[in-house]
Parts: sequence; structure tokens; C-alpha cells
Amino acid sequence: MDPAGDASSMPLVQRISAVMWPAFLCAGVATGVFFTFFDPVVLLECEGEPPMSRMGAYTLGFFMFWSLCIVSSVGTSYFLGSRAR
Amino acid sequence: MNSKASASLDEQVAQSLYAQRERIYPREVHGMYATMRVLAVVVLLGLFYGVLWLHWDGQQLLLFDLPARRFHIFGLTLFPQDFFFLSAILIIGALTLFFFTALAGRLWCGYACPQTVWTEVFLWIERKVEGDRRNQMKLDKLPWAGRKLVVKATKHGIWILLSLWTGFTFVGYFTPVLELGARLMTWELGPWEFFWVFFYGFATYGNAGWMREQVCIYMCPYARFQSAMFDKNTLVISYDTARGESRGARRRSTDARAAGLGDCIDCTMCVQVCPTGIDIRDGLQYQCIACAACVDACDRVMDKMGYDKGLIRYTTENALSGEQVKILRPRVIIYAIGLLALVAAVGYGLVSRTPLALDVIRDRNTLYRETGEGLVENVYTLKLINMDDEDHRYEVTVSGIEGMQLRLDTDQIPVAAHEVLNVSARVRVDPYSLERASSTISFTLQSVDDRSLRVEEEARFLGPVPGKR
Repeated sequence: MDPAGDASSMPLVQRISAVMWPAFLCAGVATGVFFTFFDPVVLLECEGEPPMSRMGAYTLGFFMFWSLCIVSSVGTSYFLGSRAR
Repeated sequence: MNSKASASLDEQVAQSLYAQRERIYPREVHGMYATMRVLAVVVLLGLFYGVLWLHWDGQQLLLFDLPARRFHIFGLTLFPQDFFFLSAILIIGALTLFFFTALAGRLWCGYACPQTVWTEVFLWIERKVEGDRRNQMKLDKLPWAGRKLVVKATKHGIWILLSLWTGFTFVGYFTPVLELGARLMTWELGPWEFFWVFFYGFATYGNAGWMREQVCIYMCPYARFQSAMFDKNTLVISYDTARGESRGARRRSTDARAAGLGDCIDCTMCVQVCPTGIDIRDGLQYQCIACAACVDACDRVMDKMGYDKGLIRYTTENALSGEQVKILRPRVIIYAIGLLALVAAVGYGLVSRTPLALDVIRDRNTLYRETGEGLVENVYTLKLINMDDEDHRYEVTVSGIEGMQLRLDTDQIPVAAHEVLNVSARVRVDPYSLERASSTISFTLQSVDDRSLRVEEEARFLGPVPGKR
């Protein structure tokens, strides 16, 4: 593999994995830590939002973190691969 | 750990995968290590699919009850307040992995990693449905019609059923499984439970059915950094180049030495059985998950040829180059000490842990209020968390300012086992005993029936600025 990490020479599977997977791991940690300290039921109540089951809140929270982390990873991947075109 | 040869192979693999990933058809292998892996698969999957059904006194023994925000771990109940213990347990897990890696290489990858374990089961199903390696390759070359459709549909059907069961089992560790099972029977799973069963099922199907070795090569962080724990005394799987080369086909009756040949008959069995599709004879490569399939395969060939076993074997770099092998090295000792220290600390922490917690939340709406008698009053919500397995009665006291009065609805507050109770508390103080506008006070929560259950929690008491009253 190119030691310079040129993303354009990577197999597609690797590139997709390199974005999705670290984002997944980070989202998992973030979800765990966040919901350890904040109970979604209390949080929603305090903010006057409509109530939701904890499972639902955890799930939405996880996917929110995952999407954010994916955006970050896509950014990294994009800037690593960028060359004068 | 990469030699030049393996670097060039990396390029080949990368190139070929970029064009299109060449499917790997690992040949079935029999032998001591294959038996050990099957054993590991049976035990680990047996634990995974079984442990969640174990109950004691009506309580699921291992349950990370996310909806109720408490973890039951074989009689121990942990709350979000015990976050420290869970992180420590995870760190112990990581250190254990490092320790075994330094000692015996990628044991984890070859025998215990979920990716290996489930892939092994999926491969087994594939062989039962499609036949052995040759039949699988033949089948894949056929056009999509008739028998191929039936066989493929059968295989994927079984894979999907197993994956869904895996997803259900997974969710069963995070939400009480008996209720979950009952809801499944009546087809009343909640939308989120339904979602996670399918999500985890899909992940299992995708990773073990389709991604396979690519997970190890592209996604596994451990595969990338495990070499940092390696040294020349770490167990690795290696081809004995000195003994094997020069490789070449020959008849059983040929005198290999006279013909200038080494012990490797170049039958490529080691390559055919490799689940990651590498040639171990090219040297140690990061794609090698140390499953020892090549060891088993080569040993059988050596037996057939009447040669000694172990042309490919578990060995160490030092052993191969004829140097002495040391088991107790600084890194092994350091990992061991770290591990023992952490286990001792967590063990002590768990034993001496007070299964009681108190959170004090000041009423956010008012700073303070003056009562009819001219006292300053602050209102708090006390959150009493009984983490013990038994019900207890508690009393609350407050200290920090002279002459403080605490008003609660009841003197003794009963809290059931594993329950959280919110109690409203009013604290009144004579304004003349306030030295500043914001003072630190301390709530003490103590069990009436067990005096050792006692926790203290600090809070702020707000009042008028002294001198302005």
C-alpha cells in the first residue's frame, strides 16, 4: 500500500471502511459516555421535548454521533487525497 | 514485521482488490489447531447464545439493561455512577489482550475474535450447502439459473436466519431477554428493538458472509498495532525457509537432498487453506491472523511425504535463527504487573464500594426565598440511588452552616433495591449566620438499618449578600 496514504489508490471497500468504521467506534464510545452522564428521559423532560423511550433516544443519539463522525472521517479522507487536479 | 517480499505482496493484493476483490475460497482443513478452533467456536458461541438465558432468582445473570440504566453482571449491579468500574474492566480486557499478544502473538485473531468465530460458522454452513472448495468455485462459474439459484438461496437463507438469531441474542443482552422473547413470540417488538435485531443481524451477515478477511485487513485496528507488542520471542506462525527451500514438486520416492530440493513440495495447500489468502512462505505478513490452518495443512502433507512435521509451525524469530528463546521479558513482566495491579484495584474498589449514591440538585427556578419567620430557604431535589440488592430505609442530615433546619416530607425514606427516588428537601437558615452569599453545605445520607451505608454530597446554599440585609 502506498505509504503516503493516497486514498485514490485504495480499494473502494477499504476507503468506505476507513470512513465508516472509525466513525462507528467513536460514535459507540461517545454514545456510551454521553448517556452515562445524561439520562435521555430527564434530558427530554427538562428541555420540554416530547417524551421518547430510552432505547429510542439511545438509538437516535448513536446515529447522530455516527453521522457526525462520518462527516469528520470523510473530511479527513478528502483532504488526505486532495492533490492539484 | 513486514519484509520487502510481503510489502510487494501487499501491493499485489491492493492492486488486485482495487480491480476487483478476488474471492477467497478457503479449503477445509483438519488437524490439531483446526480442532482447537472448532472447540473455541463451540465454547464461545455457546456462551454467547446461552448465557443470556441464565437467570438467578428471577434476574437475568448478565444483562446490560439499557432501558433501566443498570448493568447486572453475575450478581453485581452497576449504575451509571459506577462508570469507573466499567471503564476499568474494559482497560483490563485491553491489557489482557496486550499480555497474550506479547507472549503468544495473535491468539485472539486465530481463535477468539468474533470475526473469526462467526466466519468459521458461516464457512461451515457454506460447505454443507455448496460443497467443498472445488464445488464452490465450479458453482460460482455457472450462470445464475436453476440449481445455482436454489443452492445460493438456501445458503443465504440459513445465513440470514442465523444472523437474525444473533441479532436477537445481542439485543437480549441489553434488554431483559424473557420479555423480549415473549414480545417476539407475539410479534410485538418495539420499533427500536426490531431495528437493532436487524441492524446487528445485518452486520453479522455482512461481516461473516461477505466481508470476511477484509474486516481483518481493512477494518481491524488490532491487526494494525499488534506488531508493536511483538518482539523476537513472540510466538508466530512461520515457514522454515532453511528447511523448505528450494521448493519443488517431486515423487514420494525421490531423494530430495540429492535432487537439491528442500522439504517444501510446493503443493500450495498452505495457500489454499488460508482464510486471508496469503502465502505464509513469503514471510510474516500483517494479514496473517495466526489461525494455524496452514500449519495443519502442511503437517498432513509432510506426513504423507514421510517428512518431519513442522515445516510451517508456531515458533519465534529467535528460535528460527537458532538463538535462545526467553519467555519472561521486560514487556511481558510489565504487562503482567499492570494487569495484576489493575485487577487488584478494581477488585478492592468493588468490594469496598458503597452501594448507595446521592445526587443533590438545587431548584433552578429561585435563588432563595424568605420565609414568614425571616429565614432564608433553598429548595433541593435529592436523588437517592439504592444500588444494593436489598431495600433500605434512609435518613438525611445536613451540615455546614450553624442552626440549619432541614424539612423533608418524612423522617425515614424507604428506597427499594436498585431503585432511584427523588425527594424534595427544604433547607432553612437564619440569615445572620450566613457569612457569604454562597455557602457550601453538605448532605449526608445514611441507612437506618445498616449504618455502614453512608454517603455525603456537597451543595451550594444561596442567600442575600451579608451586610445588605
